[in-house]
Amino acid sequence: MHESGEHVTCREVVELASDYLERALPADEATLFEQHLNFCDGCLWYLEQIRATVETVGRIREEDVPPETRDKLLTAFRDWKRS
Amino acid sequence: MTRAAAHERRATAEELELLGLLRAGDERAFEELVTEYYGTMIAVALTYVRTRAVAEEVVQEAWLGVLKGLDRFEGRSSLKTWVLRILVNIAKTRGTREARSVPFASLAPEGDEPAVDPERFRGPGDGFPGHWRSYPANWHALPEDVVHGQETLRVALRAIERLPPAQRTVIVMRDIQGCEPEEVCEVLEVSEGNQRVLLHRARSRVRQALEEHLDA
Repeated sequence: MHESGEHVTCREVVELASDYLERALPADEATLFEQHLNFCDGCLWYLEQIRATVETVGRIREEDVPPETRDKLLTAFRDWKRS
Repeated sequence: MTRAAAHERRATAEELELLGLLRAGDERAFEELVTEYYGTMIAVALTYVRTRAVAEEVVQEAWLGVLKGLDRFEGRSSLKTWVLRILVNIAKTRGTREARSVPFASLAPEGDEPAVDPERFRGPGDGFPGHWRSYPANWHALPEDVVHGQETLRVALRAIERLPPAQRTVIVMRDIQGCEPEEVCEVLEVSEGNQRVLLHRARSRVRQALEEHLDA
């Protein structure tokens, strides 16, 4: 899959970034990935951008249950309990 | 049906305990569960139905289905997966009625979708083909409050809302709701590989939106 056997290019690195963070890369690909980062600031910063993206998305607040939904469901639960 | 039933995770001890409380009619346990699953349930429903209002109805209907089946649930799958599958069945039925039926196959990632515009890399005729023409920015050099500010959060949220449904569902489940990859696979019936591709594409698109915002 690599444009060259013994190294990965920047264009390949960006496709592997999320899998790398997920620890889903096979060992040999993870090694090539890390070797690339050792000499490429562009990809290092790209990986940091993906990390920052995951972190930003993680700060989005989980949604609250609307009060009407909560009330409706609690009523249903009480009915179910009685039946 | 990409995963064999044998691989499925069973209900955890914690879930079985919770199940006992629900069966005993513990309202607080029920309310906590409704709260915990809410964001995930809305996101999963929106994979199959078009509007927020219908998704809300699907969530309510799913809980009624859960109550109906609670005494028969045997813990062969995780409680969460079981609840979400009831939801998916209802959402699919509604989606079909709305004429937005999403067959299994279309939840799989389609076509080729580069994470970064290919124009940003050197072509085959250049020296160092496949390498950056110019580097992406170092966000660590930006003021802290820009990256961590409310506006950046809003940009991320808007980018997520614009994602294709399957990508949106996966990023919400994984990165907002903190679901495990296995849960995504079991509920949406996608392979582990496809789950990762959908997550990768979603994160790449959100990164791009953040880049446009932060570089401006």
